[in-house]
Amino acid sequence: MLLEVLNSVFSVQIFLFIILGVFTGICIGSLPGLTATMGVALVLPLTFGMEATPGILLLIGVYVGAIYGGSISAILLRTPGTPAAAATVLDGYEFSKRGESGRAMGISTVSSFIGGVVSVLALWLISPQLAKLALRFSAPEFFLLAVFGLSIIASISGNSLAKGVLCGGLGISLSFIGIDGITGYPRFTFNNINLLSGMSFIPVMIGLFAMSQAFSTVENIFTPDQVTQKISKVWPSKKDWKIILKTAPLSGAIGTMIGIVPGAGAEIGAFVSYSQAKRSSRHPELFGTGIPEGISAPEAGNNGVTGGALIPMLTMGVPGDAVAAILIGALTVQGLQPGPLLFTEHTTLVYSIFLGMFVANVTMLVLGLSSLKLFVKVLSVPKAILTPMIFVLCVVGSYAINTNFFDVGVMLFFGILGYFLQKADVSVSPAVLGLILGPMAESNFRRALLMSEGSYSIFVASPIAWVFVVLTLVTLLGPAVKERLKKH
Amino acid sequence: MRKANFIVSGTFTLFAIFIIAISVGYPPSNHGVPGPGMFPIIIASLIILSALTLFIFTLRMPKEMDSAIDLKSKNVLNVYITMGGLVLYFVLLPLVGFVVTTSIMLILFIKWFSKRAWWKTILISVLFTVAIYLLFGSVLNVPMNFGLLI
Repeated sequence: MLLEVLNSVFSVQIFLFIILGVFTGICIGSLPGLTATMGVALVLPLTFGMEATPGILLLIGVYVGAIYGGSISAILLRTPGTPAAAATVLDGYEFSKRGESGRAMGISTVSSFIGGVVSVLALWLISPQLAKLALRFSAPEFFLLAVFGLSIIASISGNSLAKGVLCGGLGISLSFIGIDGITGYPRFTFNNINLLSGMSFIPVMIGLFAMSQAFSTVENIFTPDQVTQKISKVWPSKKDWKIILKTAPLSGAIGTMIGIVPGAGAEIGAFVSYSQAKRSSRHPELFGTGIPEGISAPEAGNNGVTGGALIPMLTMGVPGDAVAAILIGALTVQGLQPGPLLFTEHTTLVYSIFLGMFVANVTMLVLGLSSLKLFVKVLSVPKAILTPMIFVLCVVGSYAINTNFFDVGVMLFFGILGYFLQKADVSVSPAVLGLILGPMAESNFRRALLMSEGSYSIFVASPIAWVFVVLTLVTLLGPAVKERLKKH
Repeated sequence: MRKANFIVSGTFTLFAIFIIAISVGYPPSNHGVPGPGMFPIIIASLIILSALTLFIFTLRMPKEMDSAIDLKSKNVLNVYITMGGLVLYFVLLPLVGFVVTTSIMLILFIKWFSKRAWWKTILISVLFTVAIYLLFGSVLNVPMNFGLLI
């Protein structure tokens, strides 16, 4: 199997796809307004005609590159290219003000690489064990896992639990459309033939993440971004290396742990790593004034999330973040179902993803250190030209999945809806995650009751089920209890 | 934000009532195993509960915490015009064809957003459209020939 994996990842074709993915990702991530999720959603249609391994690795390349690329504009423009780089702005821009943007980007590149590698190692070590454990799950455990995933997504993905639940509920409701898998009864199809096979979630994702983001960009389309800094001396000094090696591995591990939690994305990973580095520092007062730790921690943290997010996605079919949700879509298009069986039935693919992700991180390091000047030039591509092109990519991408204009309409509808939801401060991520976890929750709920002949005690019959019940209760009630305790 | 929260909570409540109204007509549970309507009703009830929570929290929200949402400024109007343009593009696309409709859409948007010279705008738009047409049509084998023209 090892030889198969090596042959698969180190073939010229796949290697080129990884490089292309990382390069595209860095370009997308560096442009403010284009997020990693949007990048992966836009590139996804290109993988429909590909085999599974190159397709998934192209998307992973985009993901890894975009999360890192966000730091470029965070450092140079004081505007995070992606939300994941928001914490990098705090110290990164201070370097630029001192004329040390090259140094800042060098620290960011190496730290992102270390964070990414830590996460790949965790993915490599934890995933097979977790998949073995998940093989013991049956319908009740999978139902409770999906409920736990939904509860945690709702509670951490926005400013309000109620809004998170509403949006998650919207996503789950969309998953009801189509022929019911257990009884064969058509639900919410309104005699529309396009709805019989259910709501295709790729157009929904492209609409919610890419189109709605492009609409938001139109709001500021007439405000130009200026890049005035010149980049020099990217390679970190000995002193910076010492700091990076002290900060980045731990931050990468924190990011990985956060990535494993369903719904917690790279943005949270970066901020938690930043505050941990600040808390454990001997000079916390210097954070925010432009110190290497202030870049190293969030950058290792956000790239640490990339591997972590794939752990629940590959082992249990529960997406760690929005990008992982899109990757589930990509695997489904290839006829593959993420979950423990993927590890037994498609072992080569799984290990190719692990190795390919490592190669993507090395590519990111090499491209980041050698071609930063090129990526900085990308920043001067006017959004006035780029945004209409994104419209076209969204339309063609949604059409390409089933060569059906109905999907384009769905994408446009959710693009408009996503824009207004963002305006109302409702995070759209729970909708997509709900769309994926909803069917998992419903089918396993009904299957469990079928197994127990209608007895609900099956949901608390095993220790694993109890663990999920307790975790869900803690997630949903924890914040309210904490608030109450604070008041007394 | 108060107004937006009320609208969000009201819209989602109506949406949930709609789901329940349809789901109650689905076949009932059989020997304790839920029918196709049960899960939609559970989720819709959860939506109503959350919408009510949002409504009550917003009512109790201190006025100083309220913030205005920009829905009428010139920048937002530009978004509405863009949305309208894209809906028109979506309607015309299958009737006219990809290359012609997309090139015209890109020319109009790029000219509007960037005020570049006409020849540059046309060149960028046509080149990008043809590149996408060839990439999806020839390399990825997606049928891109539809409509009266190309």
